[in-house]
Amino acid sequence: MASTEAIPNSLRCVVVTPEETVLDTTAEFIALPLFDGEVGIGRHHSPMIGRMGYGELRIRNGDETSRYYVDGGFVQVADNVVSVLTNRSLAVDSLDAEVAEEQLKTALSTTTTGDEQLAIRDRTISQARAQIRMARKPK
Amino acid sequence: MANPRELDKRRKSIRNIRKITRTMELIATARFKKAMDRASAATAYTDRITQLVSDLTKTGLEVSHPLLEQREETENATLLVLTANRGLCGGFNGNLIRAGLARWDELQHVAPNRRLEIAGKRGIGGFRFRGHEPDQEFTHFEDKPAFDEVDEIAGRYLDDYVTGNLDRLDVVYMKFHSVSRQEVAVETLLPLGSLAESVSESAAADSASGGEIQYEFLPSPESILEEVVPTSFKVKLFKCFLDSAVSEQVARMVAMKGATENAGELIKSLSMQYNRARQGRITSELMDLIGGVEAIK
Repeated sequence: MASTEAIPNSLRCVVVTPEETVLDTTAEFIALPLFDGEVGIGRHHSPMIGRMGYGELRIRNGDETSRYYVDGGFVQVADNVVSVLTNRSLAVDSLDAEVAEEQLKTALSTTTTGDEQLAIRDRTISQARAQIRMARKPK
Repeated sequence: MANPRELDKRRKSIRNIRKITRTMELIATARFKKAMDRASAATAYTDRITQLVSDLTKTGLEVSHPLLEQREETENATLLVLTANRGLCGGFNGNLIRAGLARWDELQHVAPNRRLEIAGKRGIGGFRFRGHEPDQEFTHFEDKPAFDEVDEIAGRYLDDYVTGNLDRLDVVYMKFHSVSRQEVAVETLLPLGSLAESVSESAAADSASGGEIQYEFLPSPESILEEVVPTSFKVKLFKCFLDSAVSEQVARMVAMKGATENAGELIKSLSMQYNRARQGRITSELMDLIGGVEAIK
């Protein structure tokens, strides 16, 4: 791995949505929400492809930590490049806990029939809960 | 003898029209640049999804998914035609409507139940004029289609497909190749048979560059594939909308450029006529005067 030795401490993080490339930055450490829990990625992480859940993407660079909400998708790690493919990515400041709570309330109160509708409701609920959790979390 | 005043009036009105068409050209150019940027920003995602799929298939995974398989019988087919909300863009809408109608007639022989969905006021009007009432219309797509809006439609198609209410989805849109070339494309997006095709291309490119990476899959290649296939359908549909938006602006740009040039030429020829008529009038007045003077003598 000659190329990584040449530029130490660099882990590239690219966040893309279907509309645009939201983020392309270097980081020391990245934490991602996988479908069943969080995963932390440092330098020289082994190649990985994973399915993501709804939650917080943390990028640590020195003492600074930037936080983003990601809305499912995939993550691919190879050669110190972390590519996050997600439908939606928002900076944590633009999250609105009240809107999310409203969404959660309506989702919880709707009655569903059939597996598909149930799956949709579950998805909305977990999206809303993740947003609320993040918006409420002290910095 | 042409009336110089009439000619001048016409010339003035053409000047006004030229001003309008020139402005429209400028606006279309600006919008085209923006739309183009958006479309190229979207390719980053598409490229990565393709890369991901090719990495998945390298694990020797059998690519099979309900969305990829051809159904034995097509009962329900949907035709989605993407047109513009506004006219004045040359043959853009006309070509799309013509291609849409041809496919619509074709579908009649394939599927007993057809559903017509049209985006854009022009297409809705065009189909209605020919006696086809659309089952669903979208008019909220302007030059900046948002992924969320397309996602909603794509999600509905996917749900319908999975539950068996939809067996085939055809999309008619203007494919953007370059600024000077756009063409009408009629594509079957569901079933999504071409995932393997695009994969084999990129896989070939990969094997040329060498470097095999062994990935760890969380939770498993199968479950990731299950998620990737619907996503890639959504992205494909989104790309259709983006292409259509870009092509519309290009078409308008070209049409308005032509209109401006034509107006210029018209003004030139009218000016010539006007000057000639004016000169003719002066000459005849002079002749009258001279004639009068001669008579008095």
